[in-house]
Amino acid sequence: MVLTLFLIITLTFFLVEAQPGDYASFYVLNPDLPPEVKDQIRAAFGLDRPVWQQYLIHLKNTVTGNLGVSFGNYPRPVIDVLAERVPRTLVLFLTATAVSFYIGFFLGKAIAWRRGGLFEYATTISGAVLFTAFTPAFALMMIWVFAFKLGWFPVGKFLDPLVWRGADVSANYVFGNMLLSAGAFIVFALLVMLLLKRFGRAVPSVVALPIVLGGAAVIVAAWAISGIGGLALDIVKHMVLPVATLTLISFAGTMLLTRNSMLETIREDYVMAARAKGLPDKQVRDRHAARNAMLPVVTSLVYSLIFAIDGSVIIESVFSWPGTGLTLLQAVRSEDLPLVMGAILFIGVLSLLAHVVVDVLYVYLDPRIRYQ
Amino acid sequence: MTDRRDPLLKVEGLSLSYQTRQGELQAIRDVSFELARGSALGLVGESGCGKTSVANCLMRLLPDSARLSAGRVLLDGQDILLLTEEEMRLLRWRRISMVFQAAMNVLDPVYRVGQQIVEAIETHGVESTEPAARERVARLFRLVGLDPKLTEHYPHEFSGGMRQRAVIAMALSCDPDLMIADEPTTALDVIVQDRILRELKDIQQQLAMSLIYISHDIAVVAEVTDVVGVMYAGRLVEMGDTADVFRAPAHPYTAALMSSFPSISGERRPLISLPGEPPNLSDPPQGCPFHPRCAYATDVCRVEYPPEVRAGSHRAACWHPLDATLVPQG
Amino acid sequence: MTTPEPFGPTPEIAVDAGSRRLRFVLARLRLVWRSFRSGGGTFLESQMGRLSLFIIIVYALMAVAHPILMASVWDPATYDPVTGYSFDQVEQPAPPSWKHPLGTDPLGRDVLSQLLYSTRSEFVLGITAALVTVTIATFVGAVAAYYGRVVDAFFMRLADLMIALPAISLLIVLSALFPLNLFYLALIIGVLSGFGGTAIILKSQALSIKVKPFIEAARVAGGGHFHIIFVHIIPHLLPLALLYMMFTVTSAIFAEAVLSFLGLLDLRMSWGIMIHTANTGGYLLGGTRYWWLIVPAGASITLLCSAFYLAGRALDEVVNPRLRQRND
Repeated sequence: MVLTLFLIITLTFFLVEAQPGDYASFYVLNPDLPPEVKDQIRAAFGLDRPVWQQYLIHLKNTVTGNLGVSFGNYPRPVIDVLAERVPRTLVLFLTATAVSFYIGFFLGKAIAWRRGGLFEYATTISGAVLFTAFTPAFALMMIWVFAFKLGWFPVGKFLDPLVWRGADVSANYVFGNMLLSAGAFIVFALLVMLLLKRFGRAVPSVVALPIVLGGAAVIVAAWAISGIGGLALDIVKHMVLPVATLTLISFAGTMLLTRNSMLETIREDYVMAARAKGLPDKQVRDRHAARNAMLPVVTSLVYSLIFAIDGSVIIESVFSWPGTGLTLLQAVRSEDLPLVMGAILFIGVLSLLAHVVVDVLYVYLDPRIRYQ
Repeated sequence: MTDRRDPLLKVEGLSLSYQTRQGELQAIRDVSFELARGSALGLVGESGCGKTSVANCLMRLLPDSARLSAGRVLLDGQDILLLTEEEMRLLRWRRISMVFQAAMNVLDPVYRVGQQIVEAIETHGVESTEPAARERVARLFRLVGLDPKLTEHYPHEFSGGMRQRAVIAMALSCDPDLMIADEPTTALDVIVQDRILRELKDIQQQLAMSLIYISHDIAVVAEVTDVVGVMYAGRLVEMGDTADVFRAPAHPYTAALMSSFPSISGERRPLISLPGEPPNLSDPPQGCPFHPRCAYATDVCRVEYPPEVRAGSHRAACWHPLDATLVPQG
Repeated sequence: MTTPEPFGPTPEIAVDAGSRRLRFVLARLRLVWRSFRSGGGTFLESQMGRLSLFIIIVYALMAVAHPILMASVWDPATYDPVTGYSFDQVEQPAPPSWKHPLGTDPLGRDVLSQLLYSTRSEFVLGITAALVTVTIATFVGAVAAYYGRVVDAFFMRLADLMIALPAISLLIVLSALFPLNLFYLALIIGVLSGFGGTAIILKSQALSIKVKPFIEAARVAGGGHFHIIFVHIIPHLLPLALLYMMFTVTSAIFAEAVLSFLGLLDLRMSWGIMIHTANTGGYLLGGTRYWWLIVPAGASITLLCSAFYLAGRALDEVVNPRLRQRND
């Protein structure tokens, strides 16, 4: 884990090192500069030292969070730019991943359980089309349909300047608070579920939904009276279309995989045994067949997560969503190397975390691994 | 209404076929038998002769390709083939439970073993509270010779014999009237097999439960059951009290099957393996299905299915029964 | 030979070693051909297989058609995919007409010509990437499985790392550092996939081959490590490798399209560039009005990608016997 992180840092360093020219050449090539100034600049960048020393310095800086100063956003440090952009990507990525996994898994198990019929045919075909659709073209089509023709959502970007004119708070402040409330809500919902499970049959599980919905209502109400609710709503409006698009392109993979995995699980003896025990059909499907069919789906979740990370880079660029992906792209176009390295470092870390999360999840889900 | 002397289970003219790409496959043809309360019935025959299909019919756990073309299955006089899916679901495990053929994979790998049994108990409301259900599982574990602590373990932590015991405990969990054991011990080594068999027999007698024991192993069936039915190519070719049938088999197939196993009584004689293979069920031979492999076959066997011959409760379907006391009825 | 042959002279004695070797090779080839024919039968039996093969052949014909058309009926000044300009159109982009069956792009170039021209580069890209993948992956898989231990651990760690890398993001970064052309792109995708997921799958296949008796026999007969790896293990990996070639083609074409769309590749023309050109001109949001700028290229990317993907799935049923029996 740490090793892989180390490898990523090393890789990015040497990729930059391997390209012709160096950081300083942008400035040093300027013929107006006197030689001593050139040397000064080189020294400031540490370029007068041997490569291995540069590498060690780079390593130390990266670990301590000093990613340098962005050329394009001078004089903002890279870490500062990323701190603003990263949450926006995370929200896009996490929401889309969670929703697409849920929908994909749900549809996959449903079509495997009731084989044949128009429903299975339709979902499989549309799933396969979405799975292989050319992402940018599909994203543009979504914009065209929902933003231009129907006018339901804004075309792109993070917020609408007209709404924000005269607002006395920054977008980051509002967004940060939104994240906090979303986080609080998730914790609250999980707590409710956990408590209900703990006390088992004493409380009917039907009460969970009203309680959770009540929590959501409280949060929404708090936003409504806070005075910045309108601003938050504007951000939410801008979020819907990118999230929906990313969800649509990533759910199909999960769905097709769940379906295949389900079809194999259904033949297992324990599913037959569950039916023989007289369990209701739904319980056989959800608790036994789908629960086991989930294991291979979770294993390949790594691939879907990487797919979604790449997808979010594409989506961000098409929707002009100012997250890490768009930052990376802009940095690449303007040759803002420190920012490029910072962004790719973040994306690398994100995919590593995805790996770890999947591993942990798998261990939690499969008792056979848990005790080894 | 239900008299204790009435048979618990009465199967009449049961016929089942599977639709396959090769055409219709007749898995069971015109099978009839009765099972008294508290007694044990054995079904023997080679692989693919329809034994497991009979079991699946009784549980009504059939794949979509299966079609029940005729017959009735009366449990306490009620035809379970006419029940709705929901009525049948409530009847499964509560009245008829099953120990499956491949016991290794019958336990769901992701749940604790005890939990899986509690699940069945709760579904059928056999115990009203969860602690009572857990207590019941512990009792069942003791009954089948397992440490009650093992209920909190996962299936992969069990050995083959332990899993089989757990599966039997699971089958007993709702006090069924009838338990079907489909080759429950095939995957185990001989010593474990024997111990489990003995315990199964004890439990069956102790609980006065009816048992259908399906196996290809004649010796085991002879040990466990009171009545035995021999199946060949989807047909019940011979049936009677276990002692009668194995002492004086009437159908040449039963005789052949017996001589291909070491003798139960211990007398030494050469083992004769039965030549040929069971017929293709999608295109069974005309007449008696056994005639291509039968040493006694005559022209009539090749043309017409034999009538039933019987002596008391011992009956067989054969033109040339080996035991001449069996005679055609009516 | 002093011992008399009890069953008459065997032909082997009469022929020299060279022709015996030849006959051995021929026998092998016959076996391969037979399995190929039965496999091909299964492949063509599935609807997926037929459909995908049909699409791939259509596109291959399109790729071949372009140079022929350029040499015969199409005047390069008008029809060149990059430098051509259609002077007789009043307004660019022009909708489809007899002269330009798929219309012209915002720069007055013929869309059909661009489409056909790009097809060839897509095939070159896809197949190069696939070949690189397969070469690396079979070698890595065979070596890791054969030697085990440290070699295995090293390559599998490496594979984990490769899987953890989001390929598109990495390619975006690389495009900032080097001018990425078709060849480099194919190479990078090939390396990523070859050392990554494909290597893991081929390794597990190689492991199951390694324990087969004939490997032991070859070792006892004095076969060297390289002899065993190349003659006995790798040939058995090839069917599975072929399968993963298909998936690599898909991801290569997809990656090219995305990067071209973002304008990061150093290519003359491709389907992605066609969409890029339309997008930077703002024509994409015109919706159906300028459909010929996006539909041909977009559909081609999707069709060819899914054709190779489906071909992979159909091949899967041929190569993987477990799946084949699942149809009932």
